[in-house]
Amino acid sequence: MFAIIAAKDLRVLTRDGRLLWAGGLVVILMLVALAAGWNRQVQLNSERSAGQALDYDAWLHQGYRHPHDAAEQGMHVFKPEPSLAVFDPGIGPFVGSTVWLQAHRQSEVKFRPAQDATGLQRFGELSPAWLLQVLLPLLIIVIGFNSVSDERERGTLRQLLSLGAPARSLLYGKAAALASCVGILIAPVGLAFAVLIVARLPAGERVDVVYRIAWLAAGYGLYLGFFVFLTLAVSALARSSRTSLVLLLGFWVAATLIAPRTASEATNLLHPTPSRLDFDNQLAHDVADAGRKAWSTHFGARTPWDPSVPLSKWGAALKVDDEAGYGALDENFGRLWDTFERQQRAQEWVGLVAPVVALRGFSMGLAGTDFSQHRDFSTAAEAQRRKIQNIVSEDLIEHADRLGNAHFTYKAGPELWATVPQFKYELPSVSFALAHHWASLALLAVMFCLSVALAQFALSRPLMR
Amino acid sequence: MLDAIEVTKQFGAKSALDNISLSVLPGEIYCLLGANGAGKTTLVNLFLNFLQPTSGSLQIGKLDVVRHPLETKRLLAYIPEQVTLYGVLSGLENLAFFSSLAIGEHLPRQRLLELLEAAGLPRQAADDRVATYSKGMRQKVGIAIALAKNAKALLLDEPTSGLDPSAANEFSELLVRTSNDGVTVLTTTHDLFHAKQTGTRIGIMKQGRLVEELRSEEVSHADLEALYLKHMKS
Repeated sequence: MFAIIAAKDLRVLTRDGRLLWAGGLVVILMLVALAAGWNRQVQLNSERSAGQALDYDAWLHQGYRHPHDAAEQGMHVFKPEPSLAVFDPGIGPFVGSTVWLQAHRQSEVKFRPAQDATGLQRFGELSPAWLLQVLLPLLIIVIGFNSVSDERERGTLRQLLSLGAPARSLLYGKAAALASCVGILIAPVGLAFAVLIVARLPAGERVDVVYRIAWLAAGYGLYLGFFVFLTLAVSALARSSRTSLVLLLGFWVAATLIAPRTASEATNLLHPTPSRLDFDNQLAHDVADAGRKAWSTHFGARTPWDPSVPLSKWGAALKVDDEAGYGALDENFGRLWDTFERQQRAQEWVGLVAPVVALRGFSMGLAGTDFSQHRDFSTAAEAQRRKIQNIVSEDLIEHADRLGNAHFTYKAGPELWATVPQFKYELPSVSFALAHHWASLALLAVMFCLSVALAQFALSRPLMR
Repeated sequence: MLDAIEVTKQFGAKSALDNISLSVLPGEIYCLLGANGAGKTTLVNLFLNFLQPTSGSLQIGKLDVVRHPLETKRLLAYIPEQVTLYGVLSGLENLAFFSSLAIGEHLPRQRLLELLEAAGLPRQAADDRVATYSKGMRQKVGIAIALAKNAKALLLDEPTSGLDPSAANEFSELLVRTSNDGVTVLTTTHDLFHAKQTGTRIGIMKQGRLVEELRSEEVSHADLEALYLKHMKS
């Protein structure tokens, strides 16, 4: 019986101008967002791979020079753009994509697209994920706010119930019709996008991306399903269609526009991040402190680079000094990044009242554009930097330190540069993302079940009031 | 077939029905007369289980309405004063939808057209959107739904209200034909002429009570009018 109700509702909705106009607008925006994202990604990937190749080529062909000079110059590594960043750019525009691997210091990722953006970017980037997270719930509300209330106001509900249509069939029929409207709008675009994304990938990466797409579909399905059942519940509980619309729009504004910003501020209060100045000062202090201890232990010197340490130990001192700082770098960056992750986890709980917050984290995670995957890249880049430092220091110990006071006359050549491997970074797999975001998915499932229960309760009450 | 047994319905302190009992036999047309607020529509709503009685019970085909809401509704067809349909769908589509719900299967187009024709809707109007229909035409779609359901009992809430005399007469004839096929009819109305013309029995309600019950062949139209006015004025 629910299929009969669903088919009728779908027919009524497709003849209704709301679906045509609002849905058409959403589809156009979706296509624009996908095209813009696709174009951006193609351009970025080509620029990054060209940049990576040029930079490594420059490293290999830097001629003969003192290895420490080479290490000071360092090289750049570029974060590969995950293919699903077209769908959800996540924190990408705000955290940058390039790391300068230079001696002595762990650099932050640079070149954030948001830095070059106009003030309009503050309103949020037009991405397919944003459309599904923010505009599609609005579309569901616009086409579904009067699903039950209008039937009651017009009197058709009386007719339906007099025929013995069970409330459960009515609920699932109407839910199926609303879901079909959404499906008709996004499924063709989504499927075409998924096929295009997967087709352009190397065979080895396809399975992972297919799994990511499937999980994303599950997450978004639960989220949009939540709005479908919530809309039906409010429509059944409200005294009039107007009340239903006001309540649902109020929830939409609060849950999708206000809550994410409030959650961000609230979690920052709960798990405060240090200011840039405080972080840099603390880091510098800890690195210097660790350096002092290491110089004292290894060379009996009171301060790093004490003139009492002979040049024949300069290479060894460089290695000791660098390695002494690693602990402080790991601790400070680790603490900062742990704070970011704690903020993210705290925000997930806001998903219990505003599911968009849970979905946003889940979506970024599965698209490979969240903080945990950014952290993974930053860690890999730092490991590459340390690898370069180590190669350079070992070479200095082996060749330059033997020259005693003539240490700085030593020049290494292409053979040494070639021992530094090209930076190759593989994006973490889907299981990495799921391990970080299963709680968000569970929250979405809970919210979905609660909305179904609320809708069942709303339709189990006497509908003829 | 339709039985109300000592039914009382109260809304807060106000009593809408006061210990009312009536019984409509198979093939009978029972017309309930009464002023606005007499409790006629409340009784219909109780039979539909849209409301539940404060005390007493209602039965359709010996099944309790409250305990067997879906089963009793399967035996019923209901035509309200304003037959409400989906304006963006055609008469045929509305009938297809409601009849599918009622009988659980899709009737072929030809059968649907026959039902609409039997209810008196012109064939050329079947594919027009219901938004363009007159009240009488909607009423006919409502009847077609009832016919499609092949219901054992019909509940009609002021079905001829607002119909022009010719449409009302057509409707009355259809009702008589339906009852001749053994269908039980309970109809509320303000129309004494309609009640006398079509009813097998007539009940007069006042302030939630059944104050008079008579067979229509026992009274003339003038007597019925006098009796009705007497009760209304008392």
